[in-house]
Amino acid sequence: MSATDEEIYELVRQESGDCLQRMETNLLALESGSAAGEEMDAILRDAHSIKGSSAMVGWQEVATLASAIEDRMEQARERGAFPMEFADPLLRAVDILARGLHGESGIAAPLVAELAGLGSRTNGEAAQPASDERPSAEQRPPATSTIGAAATVRIPAAKVDRMLDVVGETVLYHRRLEHELGSTLDGGQHSSVLDMGERLLDGLQDSVVQMRTLPLSTITARFPRAIRDLAAQEGKETEMTISGAETQLDRVILDGISETIVHVLRNAVAHGIETPEQRESVGKPRAGRIELHAEQRGGMVAIAITDDGRGVSPELLARAEQSGSLVDILAETGFSTAEEVSDAAGRGVGLDAVKLHVESLSGSLDVRSKPGRGTEVTLLLPVTLALMQVLLFEWDGHPFALPMSSVGRVVAVTDTTSLGGRSSLDIEGEAIPLSDLGELIGAGSQTPAKHLPAIILESPARRLAVACDELRGEEEVVIKGLGALLAGVPGYLGAAILGDGRIALVLDPTHLLKAPMKAIGFDRPPQAPESRPTQVLVVDDQFSARELQRSILETAGYRVHVARDGREALRQIGESADIDLVLTDVQMPEMDGFELLEAIRADKQHGSLPVVVVTTLGDEQSRRRGAEAGADAYVVKQEFDQQALLETIDRLVGM
Amino acid sequence: MSGVCVRICVAREHYALPVEQVLEVAEPGDLTPVPGSPAEIVGVRNLRGQVVPVISLAALLGLPNEEPKRIVVAELGARRAGLAVESVLDVGELPASSEPTESPYLSGAALIDGTLVGLLDVDAILSPQGSLEASP
Repeated sequence: MSATDEEIYELVRQESGDCLQRMETNLLALESGSAAGEEMDAILRDAHSIKGSSAMVGWQEVATLASAIEDRMEQARERGAFPMEFADPLLRAVDILARGLHGESGIAAPLVAELAGLGSRTNGEAAQPASDERPSAEQRPPATSTIGAAATVRIPAAKVDRMLDVVGETVLYHRRLEHELGSTLDGGQHSSVLDMGERLLDGLQDSVVQMRTLPLSTITARFPRAIRDLAAQEGKETEMTISGAETQLDRVILDGISETIVHVLRNAVAHGIETPEQRESVGKPRAGRIELHAEQRGGMVAIAITDDGRGVSPELLARAEQSGSLVDILAETGFSTAEEVSDAAGRGVGLDAVKLHVESLSGSLDVRSKPGRGTEVTLLLPVTLALMQVLLFEWDGHPFALPMSSVGRVVAVTDTTSLGGRSSLDIEGEAIPLSDLGELIGAGSQTPAKHLPAIILESPARRLAVACDELRGEEEVVIKGLGALLAGVPGYLGAAILGDGRIALVLDPTHLLKAPMKAIGFDRPPQAPESRPTQVLVVDDQFSARELQRSILETAGYRVHVARDGREALRQIGESADIDLVLTDVQMPEMDGFELLEAIRADKQHGSLPVVVVTTLGDEQSRRRGAEAGADAYVVKQEFDQQALLETIDRLVGM
Repeated sequence: MSGVCVRICVAREHYALPVEQVLEVAEPGDLTPVPGSPAEIVGVRNLRGQVVPVISLAALLGLPNEEPKRIVVAELGARRAGLAVESVLDVGELPASSEPTESPYLSGAALIDGTLVGLLDVDAILSPQGSLEASP
């Protein structure tokens, strides 16, 4: 028995423990008559979760009892009312599940039979024999395990969290110190000391965050064998591959996600993969392929689960086309992709639970499917919950933040087009609805001024422009909860304390993207798109600077590409022959602006590409270095003058 | 109930809460409103790195609203909130409350020197249901 297995058992115990607690609360509410359909759905979901994860780790007895609970709840839901005589046996079943999860065996059979009997009394079905309930060593969770590596120290997660809190506070105080010193002393001398402090703090913060992360392999190691067993049970053949299992995720996220991935995998086997005979008849190999691939994308981790099975029916895809989201259609409670309910995954509860869970972690879920070809389910999750990269902005005189993971870009609102009384922005030929933040969070709307910035929020299903007063830039913040008093207010992920001591409310993009929208107050006819525009690559590590330049240039009719540092810029220049001019910042991570400039000049194919350097460095030395490296023009940010910039670009590429 | 209480003034009325439930008294400071929150929550405040919700006692008790001049930070277990008040009067022994009250946020009232003092039920005030019920 390896340490990994014990870790998985512990995760299953924890997750299922939460499920049991909720089930008990909901059962008690049903028994008291103060609850209805929602509680029944919730119990069904929790029983389904326990069934899935316990079957995956081989605790058959627990899984069988959970399945029996599920049967009765399913029956109750179909009848539309909860029969009072179910309450007592179900509550006792919850107790037995708790004991089973902690290693007791041979205790479930009587209740499984009793629950089956309840069903047959009300439905006339035959009670199921409970012959497979023999206790065995396999289904007993192991007590403890030894840890092989002597160089490993186990620390309670709460201690690491406490440390991260303190480090977060230290970072804030450092920012405040910077702020106050900056306003009393003139720059230069002390800044290198502050910079060093900041770098050390960054390092400290990163290493604490890393202490909270674990590789995905801590939960995936068991999946292939479990999937093979499940497939055998279903009379199917599968081959499973896992890649990217070394990808790191926050422990808190990892804890809950194994159950969720199990849902998706079981769906793939039960609903996706066809029987070997069916597969052969349509010219596919007998064994279905299931792939799990994980990779980091910025501050997010994408976990994609792909199967080459039958996919979603064309009718469903057509419905999804109309409503805009396949995920939402598949996640409707009570909806199932399979015609028959099987023991494996069956009742369509799965994806609903998956979606709820992923969104509760401020992630998102995407499903793509081709009839007859297969289905791909992608879970997009933040690497960590404690720290978040956000875009700060002002609205109605107060700071707000949005997770960068959901921000597509920022534009200046100049022209809007209107349809059915709703304003939209024309972004690269696509009409994106424009909303006022107040409307979205239920605070009443204000009349927006023209030329205000708008943030484009993106989810797999939808894009939305949110108007704000002023952009403040991108920052990594420590997210704090709003507390029990405000927990019921929808639309917020929490709050972050800024360097100047103010509080920025961190908005929940999922909520904003769901909100109904009304038009906001002004309207102008759309502008005709330019034909064959000149293409400019903007290189800047600061989101706000990048987007400011983008909006200036796009307003002037240029087509704009963006890159976050020199390396990314070089890659884009190499890939696209269409870039006519590069506008670059100097100070950037990885490869700075001067290095980028030298690399471009050294390149045979792109050596003569016009390059304009935009930077805060106004001193003579930097100017000389820029000129030596071959800059065509040099614009200092302090003197940033839109017209001068546009004239410089126009001179170089002549629109 | 009797014990040492902090007496406060809200819209010219007198209220009191047990001293052991008062963490500190602070200036109103920079309040960040939370759009969409119940009307009596005037915002959140940064209290030494903690995000603390601030409740307008006047709004909660249905009294005429006023500009808060002091924040009494109340704490019960892990729950914490700032109570916006007009002023903090004194700290002292309070006689057992003799008068019943109808407000869900008061546990009783006592007559001191001819002035009726309402005893705040901090548990009810810090409960989310309490404040959400009161919202429109």
